[in-house]
Amino acid sequence: MTSWQAIRLVMGREIRERSRSGAFIVSVVLTLLLVAAVLFLPLIFADDDVHYQVGVVGDGNQAVIDSALALANRPGREVRTTVEVIPFSSREEAERAADTEEVDGVLMDGQEIVVRGAGGEAGGALERLLQQGARSVQIEGLVASGAGEVVEILTSAPLEVRSLSGADTDENSERSLIAFGGLMLLYMAVLLYGSLILTGVTEEKTNRVVEVLLAAFEPWQLLAGKILGIGLLGLSQFVGTVVIAMVGIELTGIVDLPEFPIDSILVLLLWFILGYSFFAVMFGAAGALVSRAEDAQSVVAPISLVAVAGFFIAIQAVSNPTSTLSVVTTFIPPTAPFVAPVRFAFQAIPLWQMAVSVALMALTIVVITRLAGRVYLGGLLRFGSRVKVREAFRSAEL
Amino acid sequence: MLELSRLSKRYGEVRALDECSFRVERGRMLGFLGPNGAGKTTAMRSVFNLVSLDEGSVTWRGMPVGQAERLRFGYMPEQRGLYPKMRIGRQLAYLGRIHGMTAAEASGAAERWLEELGLADRIGDPLEKLSHGNQQRVQLAAALIHDPELLVLDEPFSGLDPFGVETMAEILRSRAAEGAAVVFSSHQLDMVEDLCQDVAIINHGRVVMAGEVRQLKMDSPYWVIEVEMRSADTERLSRIDAVVSVDFDGYRHRIVVRKGGDLSDLVSRLDLGGDVRHFTFSAPSLSELFREAVVG
Repeated sequence: MTSWQAIRLVMGREIRERSRSGAFIVSVVLTLLLVAAVLFLPLIFADDDVHYQVGVVGDGNQAVIDSALALANRPGREVRTTVEVIPFSSREEAERAADTEEVDGVLMDGQEIVVRGAGGEAGGALERLLQQGARSVQIEGLVASGAGEVVEILTSAPLEVRSLSGADTDENSERSLIAFGGLMLLYMAVLLYGSLILTGVTEEKTNRVVEVLLAAFEPWQLLAGKILGIGLLGLSQFVGTVVIAMVGIELTGIVDLPEFPIDSILVLLLWFILGYSFFAVMFGAAGALVSRAEDAQSVVAPISLVAVAGFFIAIQAVSNPTSTLSVVTTFIPPTAPFVAPVRFAFQAIPLWQMAVSVALMALTIVVITRLAGRVYLGGLLRFGSRVKVREAFRSAEL
Repeated sequence: MLELSRLSKRYGEVRALDECSFRVERGRMLGFLGPNGAGKTTAMRSVFNLVSLDEGSVTWRGMPVGQAERLRFGYMPEQRGLYPKMRIGRQLAYLGRIHGMTAAEASGAAERWLEELGLADRIGDPLEKLSHGNQQRVQLAAALIHDPELLVLDEPFSGLDPFGVETMAEILRSRAAEGAAVVFSSHQLDMVEDLCQDVAIINHGRVVMAGEVRQLKMDSPYWVIEVEMRSADTERLSRIDAVVSVDFDGYRHRIVVRKGGDLSDLVSRLDLGGDVRHFTFSAPSLSELFREAVVG
């Protein structure tokens, strides 16, 4: 039997037995209910009216606003949209008003939209509303002038959008969404599946089946199969939930889904796998040290603490992706999975740093898997009170 | 043939194994005996690489034992245990598969074993729903599911009722008859004497006696005379030169004598006139060999 066959057997058992268990089914149902609640409750409790204050400078604005309102309030729409028009005499004045949120946005000469920041809810919805209005005006004009330039206008660029905070609004908001989303995902996966691995290992030790398994498998094969099985099951639950949520969002149309930069997603995935593997191995080895679930908390505290630290350092990196702390923690394996993808999302990590960080992480995983295998074997066959890491390590010198 | 040669293992100050050597032949059963803490479990675990030995080697048919060899071994650890919530049919099939069987072979074997153990109708029940005795049966099936060439069983008879003991003994006998090498540890010396052709006795991590039971008995420097008679003076009997010890259990005297000693004095002092109800002259029992080997 090859190692891979052994790992696949362990993995298969984990997935089959866990997916049949009552606890798992309950958690799947609860998650779906939660997603449904998040998606549909806002519809049920939706606001009746939407009101915008729009600053205008120059001419040609009223037509855009009128068509926008006509579209927004067309028959059949339950939500009434109203716009208060506030004229400004100069561009500067209008921008200042937008910046202090005196107005939700500014329309200039019917040609340009100015909003305060990126991705703000009011700003985003208003921007879409005005774009639709502008497009509508263009088409009306076209129809009036005889339809010669239909194609040209339909394919012409939308109004230019400028954000006062500087960066490209769409891309930036998506990048921070990815950074935050990925960070949360990894953090939750580490703590959630880490504890599943911990209790899974401890259970096998408590019910003593482990000695039969270790007689056939190498310890690292057992550990790897367990980690992959629980990881795949958890990940597919996660992905399934996200897909269902996305489909729900598309169907209900409550939020426009942005297009995510593919490189960020790939990097996120890579680091998710690395980070999950690292913590899973640590939790697995910790689980081997205790015979009872009650003792488990004391051995995982240090590991959880590292994950929490990584999470907060990464939060810091969102606003300071190139600070010394961010750079240093990119090269420290336990914190790298949190920090590196955030820095990448903001394009604030040189390629060489990313490469070194990934290499260090991969090397660390290989080394700790071997060490954990030793601790695992040493710990698993010693029942009763908690086993010290050093004792477990010594008693299984392989 | 399984051969353990000069196994040594220390845990801190404790010598768990001290140049421990013995061999288990195919088609035969070996009883592995020793007082608690003598190193039996450590020696059996070392066959499955569950102990990292300081020195020594374990070979199967002359080859060092690796993962591939271990898959053809069956093991019942002292600490029994399977997955409590997993259905027994699937559980046995899984254990067959981890020993290299295909999915079809493994589930076929699981069905056959449950049939043989009278548990065919429980195949879809989780282990925890079974009675203690039935759980023990499943545990035995778990060690046998893949038709192992070598069976290593740590205290297989402990905790079994007389019917369970009988089933277990029967199954082990038939496995050996089919050519498997069987080794098991036990404290029930009578049972070992009954079942095993060979024994190995371990004390303080060292094998102090090993070989064929019949041969060991023959090689013993003692004979045992067991006699049930009307009256005898235990005190005076034990003073006779050839007599090593005399025990009286209220009915019978058990007299251990030195081989080749002059027994005429003893015979003249036994009250053999008329009322003798029992008289045997035999090699010592395994219990006596054990005591001799361990206590000295």
